[in-house]
Amino acid sequence: MPAVVQALGVSLMLMAAALVVAAGTAAAVCARTLRLGVRRRLHQRRGAGGTAAVLAALPEFLLASVLAAVVGVHLGWLPALGWYGPQYLVLPALALGLPAGALLGRLLDDMLPAAFAEDWALAAAARGIGGREVARMAVRRCVPGLLPNIGLFVTGLTGGAVAVEQIFDIPGLGRTTLQAAVAQDLPVLQAGTLALVLLAAVAGSLARLAGRLLIGPALRDSALPSLHRPERSGPRTAPLVYAALLLAVVVLGLVRDPLAVDTGARLRAPSPAHPFGTDSLGRDVLARIGHGAFGTLTLALAISAAALVAGVLLGLLPRLSEPLADTVNAVPPVLAGLLVAGVAGSGAATPALAVAAVAWVPLAAHTSALLAQERAAVHITATKGLGASRLYLLRHELLPAVVPPVARHALLRLPSVALALTALGFLGLGTQPPDPEWGLLLAENQPYVERAPWAVLAPAAVLALLGLLAVTAAGGVRLPRRQPTAAVREPESAVVPVGERV
Amino acid sequence: MRSVVSRRRLLAGLLLAPLLTGCFASGGGDGTSEGDAAGGSRLRVALAFPPAENLSPYGADATLLSRLGVTEGLTALDANGSAAPALATSWTRENDRTWMFTLREAAFQDGEKVTPDAVASALTHAAEADPEPAALSGVTLEAAKEGSDKVRVTTDAPDPALPLRLTSPGLAILSPKAYGDARPDPVGTATGPFELTEVNGATAATLDRFDDYWGGRAQAAGIDARFIADGTARTNALRTGQVDIAEAVPVSQAASLDQETRKETATTRTTSLLLNTKSGAFEDAGLRAAAREAIDTSVFAEDVYEGVADPGAGIYGPAVTWAADLRTAPTGRAEATDPDGTTVTIATYDNRPELPEVAQVLQQQLERAGFTVKLEVREYSRLESDALAGKFDAFVGARNTLLDTGDPVSILASDYTCDGAYNLALLCDKDVDRAVEEAEGLADTDKRRRAAMAAEAAVLGTDAVVPLVHQRIITGVGTDVQGVILDPYERTLVGTGTRR
Repeated sequence: MPAVVQALGVSLMLMAAALVVAAGTAAAVCARTLRLGVRRRLHQRRGAGGTAAVLAALPEFLLASVLAAVVGVHLGWLPALGWYGPQYLVLPALALGLPAGALLGRLLDDMLPAAFAEDWALAAAARGIGGREVARMAVRRCVPGLLPNIGLFVTGLTGGAVAVEQIFDIPGLGRTTLQAAVAQDLPVLQAGTLALVLLAAVAGSLARLAGRLLIGPALRDSALPSLHRPERSGPRTAPLVYAALLLAVVVLGLVRDPLAVDTGARLRAPSPAHPFGTDSLGRDVLARIGHGAFGTLTLALAISAAALVAGVLLGLLPRLSEPLADTVNAVPPVLAGLLVAGVAGSGAATPALAVAAVAWVPLAAHTSALLAQERAAVHITATKGLGASRLYLLRHELLPAVVPPVARHALLRLPSVALALTALGFLGLGTQPPDPEWGLLLAENQPYVERAPWAVLAPAAVLALLGLLAVTAAGGVRLPRRQPTAAVREPESAVVPVGERV
Repeated sequence: MRSVVSRRRLLAGLLLAPLLTGCFASGGGDGTSEGDAAGGSRLRVALAFPPAENLSPYGADATLLSRLGVTEGLTALDANGSAAPALATSWTRENDRTWMFTLREAAFQDGEKVTPDAVASALTHAAEADPEPAALSGVTLEAAKEGSDKVRVTTDAPDPALPLRLTSPGLAILSPKAYGDARPDPVGTATGPFELTEVNGATAATLDRFDDYWGGRAQAAGIDARFIADGTARTNALRTGQVDIAEAVPVSQAASLDQETRKETATTRTTSLLLNTKSGAFEDAGLRAAAREAIDTSVFAEDVYEGVADPGAGIYGPAVTWAADLRTAPTGRAEATDPDGTTVTIATYDNRPELPEVAQVLQQQLERAGFTVKLEVREYSRLESDALAGKFDAFVGARNTLLDTGDPVSILASDYTCDGAYNLALLCDKDVDRAVEEAEGLADTDKRRRAAMAAEAAVLGTDAVVPLVHQRIITGVGTDVQGVILDPYERTLVGTGTRR
């Protein structure tokens, strides 16, 4: 028990630091939109946050390995491992916070243009209210839609940061529960899981409370304008370029042999013979990426699609799904895998089931948060007033407004679904070597990140490319059709940390 | 209003600060303080395995205690694998079942003297422990005081290897105070040169020098041990100067260490391919022979282990110094038959990162010879019971051939006989059983070794096991550290002469 309490303290602190990093990252991701929004020049906003999509696709353990090796060992700026003081917090917090912050930032960035397009923003600008103030209000307007996800992120990071805890040797709760689960140490496992469930309940209630504080009166009075306007996304060339690039890599890889072990040629640097180098058994990395693509992508896409459907359906029933989501999210991923394996046996479908069993949670939370706002929108009241049935409302007003952002969210999470499948491998679930599944490629080459960076960076780059493709293909929201007004003052600084009011 | 808010935040921050610093681990990182009044500086050691059973000497934590110089037994293993004096200065065999040990004048770390009573009680506690220490598997012993400085140890069945058995870290002698609770507590109750003073869960342990050690005062003032499970992290700790000694540096990280800091030691650990002789494809001795012939062991040592290993020669590797001279050719091997696409499943575990790589190379070699191979990689604890139940056709594992008892015959008995408790090859062969039984009955060291090698030849003759490599262990040692004990039996690491 004391061990669990201590581990919980460590994890909470790490989580808090990661949250700060995530807030900073999210702010950086949204900065441009905020600046343009304040100046009412959002029509100039092009591109859909490519950097953020790449960052969100980066696996935490890869980031952690690279940070520990480069910043910790080679540059020696910060301790590479340990847990003895504030300076030890920085690298793990960066590894956890950057991808998460990029994801949250992308979601926020997705909603901001609509907020700036609302009447109050124009009115505020016309009244000469400072740009900083307007930006702050726009963020405040959008954050409630994200709050449940921030709550989930808090619990997920506390219990699920196993890989990062291992790389930095941090005595956190994730590692403690994992060890307990593997060693079948029930008291510790129970205490750890209980702590996580309690934390999830607290984080969930806080998120709901904060949401009510921010937009409660408007929700009650059904006085919110809708954040979601029909989009006009013109045809873009970027997704085509990314798709062609991805396809080229896959096709070039497919004509090579992914299983030819040549231990004499291990860890070779990229060369004409091996364009992406070789791995620790001398296998061609390009070939492995190409052959792994089909399996990885179809499974990840299928799981994401299932999670999207389940997430939206459950999100429609917040009373049922909110407690369920909090609980499911609190269960450490490894434990979830063990539980599913216990129920479904260790068949071929088990890992997919185990990942799908948790993948719907953030999507459901997102759906119900958006739905709550959408239901309170003025035009819904008007449609109701015109005598629309509930089904009509759902089909023609609510779903069309909610599904697109949630679908984009699901696409953003596609790479992490692919990685989650691999994380179950050590239980004897999921793909087994020498299968060239992408997550497995990353995991098996991770120990060589310093000696043969290409063997890890190549699959990571392909995952990032996938993230980019997913984001650009879904099309960013580019809304305002209004002209910039002359009354806008120069903003002093448009960057507002997301966490400030949370 | 703004300033009120910020002042409140500042206050909250100030109140939170001490709360938060409580969340960091204490000690460890700041162990750089040079020397203390008593002389010598403290050693900082990174160990791979955290204590699993509250440092009970009866389980897996026993080796950890003896590696840090905390515990000792009556006897110790010397470099040739024979029993050498430790707490006992000499011993004689009185009859088949009885040995007499003469104790040296020594003290426990709690100030008590090491008396025959205390030693007899410690051994009796070990014999009665449940589950029994691995070194006492299948042995019943009684210990009694004899005179002022002797202890008589009696076993139910004749045990010629008893002095070797007593070298086991699991049979450490602790002060009577240690045996209060269910598990013996080695904190401040052992006899070694270093005394455990504080154990911080699975994170760290603090040890101080024991000034009254019978073998003289240690040169280091104490040890700050950290348990770092991740191999890369352990190596990084050494590279960034956070620790002075890092044990078990993984092969993948060895290249990142300088030549002066990486110390290789041949160990008694052998990685082998065990073939399931009871069920499945490898029940057929001809297919086992075909698998053996298909495997090129030099590849593993050279490439997978990057030269930090020796090619498999037998069950015992070069660290068992006498084995190579006494080795005889395997007898009674079957003729190889054509695999003709037979499907086999090879299981292995990923706790040792090299093993999945070994299995993948094996897969390719066997497929070239005509087998169809499937791999199954899991965490060890999720694999063992299925492997022992014969669910796989083959198993790749690393096994320390002398660890539990220091006696070469024990591993043959437990791993390759019909009644063996860890018989992963599920071998039950009467020639092997007879050869092992013969070796078990011999007391004379040389005869026992010869008989063990004859039994090894019989085991290899069945093709139930294909030795792949004999591992060398890499210990990372900081350039200013001297006197680290590089023990092939992995039982000691820090001793009285280790200093910085």
